[in-house]
Amino acid sequence: MENQFDKKLQDIEADDALFEKLEDSEKDSEFIAVEAKTYFQDAWKNFKKNKLATIGLIFICLMLLLAVFGPIFSPYTYDQQDLTSRNALPSLQHPFGTDKFGRDIFVRVMYGARISLSVGFASAFINLIIGVVYGGFCGYFGGKLDMVLMRLVEIIYSVPTLLYVILVMLIFGSNIFSVLLAICISGWVGMARQVRAQVMSLKEQEYALAAKVMGAGDSRILFKHLVVNSIGPIIVTTTHMVPSAIFTESFLAFVGIGISIPQASWGTMASEARGLIMNQPIQMVWPVLAICLTILSLNFIGDGLNEALDPRKRV
Amino acid sequence: MPANIVKDEVVLKVDHLKTYFDATKGLFAKKQTVKAVDDVSFEIYKGETFGLVGESGCGKSTLGRTIVKIYEPTAGSIEINGRDIAGIKGDELKSFRKDIQYIFQDPYASLDPRMTVGEIIKEPMKIHGIYKTEEEMDARVSQLLRTVGLKPDHIRRYPHEFSGGQRQRISIARTLALDPKFIICDEPISALDVSIQAQIINLLEQIQRELDISYLFIAHDLSMVKHISHRIAVMYLGQIVELGESHEVYTNPMHPYSQALLSAVPVPDPVKGKEKERIMLQGELPSPIDPPSGCPFRTRCPYAMERCAGERPQMKMYGSRQVACFKVEEENS
Ligand SMILES: Nc1ncnc2c1ncn2[C@@H]1O[C@H](COP(=O)(O)OP(=O)(O)O)[C@@H](O)[C@H]1O
Ligand code: SF4
Ligand SMILES: [Mg+2]
Repeated sequence: MENQFDKKLQDIEADDALFEKLEDSEKDSEFIAVEAKTYFQDAWKNFKKNKLATIGLIFICLMLLLAVFGPIFSPYTYDQQDLTSRNALPSLQHPFGTDKFGRDIFVRVMYGARISLSVGFASAFINLIIGVVYGGFCGYFGGKLDMVLMRLVEIIYSVPTLLYVILVMLIFGSNIFSVLLAICISGWVGMARQVRAQVMSLKEQEYALAAKVMGAGDSRILFKHLVVNSIGPIIVTTTHMVPSAIFTESFLAFVGIGISIPQASWGTMASEARGLIMNQPIQMVWPVLAICLTILSLNFIGDGLNEALDPRKRV
Repeated sequence: MPANIVKDEVVLKVDHLKTYFDATKGLFAKKQTVKAVDDVSFEIYKGETFGLVGESGCGKSTLGRTIVKIYEPTAGSIEINGRDIAGIKGDELKSFRKDIQYIFQDPYASLDPRMTVGEIIKEPMKIHGIYKTEEEMDARVSQLLRTVGLKPDHIRRYPHEFSGGQRQRISIARTLALDPKFIICDEPISALDVSIQAQIINLLEQIQRELDISYLFIAHDLSMVKHISHRIAVMYLGQIVELGESHEVYTNPMHPYSQALLSAVPVPDPVKGKEKERIMLQGELPSPIDPPSGCPFRTRCPYAMERCAGERPQMKMYGSRQVACFKVEEENS
């Protein structure tokens, strides 16, 4: 039966006179020779063309490599004290100098990256997944279920973070898992609201209806069409979640949850350096610089992704 | 015009169909319903093009979308090839989806901007698992693109790189991917340049001739459908008020609303044009939330009588024509 149809189609002679012809010059200007075939392959190709985004991605990758392997190859450990050289300025032996206990700041920054980056990325990832699924579900199906689920979100959101923190600490004790839990318990709410609003407005679009008429199932329509078309706001929200998690972690460390002395994260290093800000301002620079460069890189990556993922914005 | 209609083979049968929307604003407001489609019945035959005409907002899209199960009907039945489609699920629904396709009005909104043309046309093939390999699908996409007058190397481009007419061709290629038996064309040309409209119409006719497809062709303007339709139904405020052979309806509209619609069309022959009684449509289309009692057209009808406000005129046969109007009823009795 399929063959018959194919044959019939082939028989249809395209009557050239009927069709709009493109000018030859127009053809060339519009047609960019590409090997990539799908939307995501195209997006990756275009992402690589964006210099700032590529630099940001390289920086983050370097940071991750340093976090994982740096401390292993360093002659010092994060808690090794050298009381003979306290508060040293940067030198060949200690590229970033030492702190008030004579600990090498460079190795502590690399070690701190482990905590800060894993908390930042892991919580952003968890919030992203929960937020997109929850918000997408509410926006797509709507109705009474959506109303109930969104009220629930409001309740979750209205409880002060400190209360969650106390609860989590009581139940799970003070460790990195508690930190993640405390950040994620209400962290996905913003994402869920964003995605819900996007999906609600996009689901009436004719391409979504067209997918339904074709026989696409709900999850295909939701994730292949609606979520993909909401990717702009999703990326922006995700990029904001990473630094906010890094700061929350340092706040939690400050009130005694998560890592404890002498372990290091960028947040705890910054708050330790605060006491010496008048005499040793350089000690403050390193963790803050690490946080800032990470945020900057993430923003570049976010912008690059946003552009690369929108075919209309590609050059 | 294709003439190979099989009159005794009914592809689509719509019976007393109603689609109402809830338009209640707020939690405690008075309940309001939009009667977008209000008691509509008709049949479409195999190989036929059935034109559906009416002003914007009269419920044409809602009718079409109810038929393809985007909306659930409030009452009445829809039969495709003799099978009632209410409540079908799973595989049955999927095979129904394969047989019936829909071309949307807005070629800028009906293609996902974040998919290549190839991905767009392959999507229905993937959903229904028609082909096993990417190569087979690519071959089919190229062939479909040629069929609709595009180039196979357009496969890697994005919708925004095309003109409105070309996008509508992409849309058509996508619907053809499933080898449908019935296509609802929801004002497929009204968003396009006049110069391109004829091309798309020709393409649709050509496809119909080759593949024996039936069309429900929706338009807001009689002139757009008269050439390609075998029969035409005129819709007003959720109801069909006149239904008949295309040529007859066009040359001799009986319902006052059809006459008014035709007067709005520029008449090609100036002599004939003068002979015709010209009715201008006065006022606005009433709200479907609070439609007039009795005949829906009575607020704008120059012939409205007392009776028209009291009861709703029913569709009556006059030869091969069906009209719902008391004036026509009286004149022909
Ligand atoms: N999803 C919907 N919810 C509520 N009202 C709707 C919906 N879709 C259409 N309507 C209303 O139904 C009426 C008919 O609309 P539509 O079928 O789009 O008309 P047409 O296609 O003839 O222009 C309009 O008054 C419109 O506002
Ligand atoms: S039924 Fe009455 S109001 Fe309606 S179209 Fe006929 S004459 Fe006019
Ligand atoms: Mg419409």
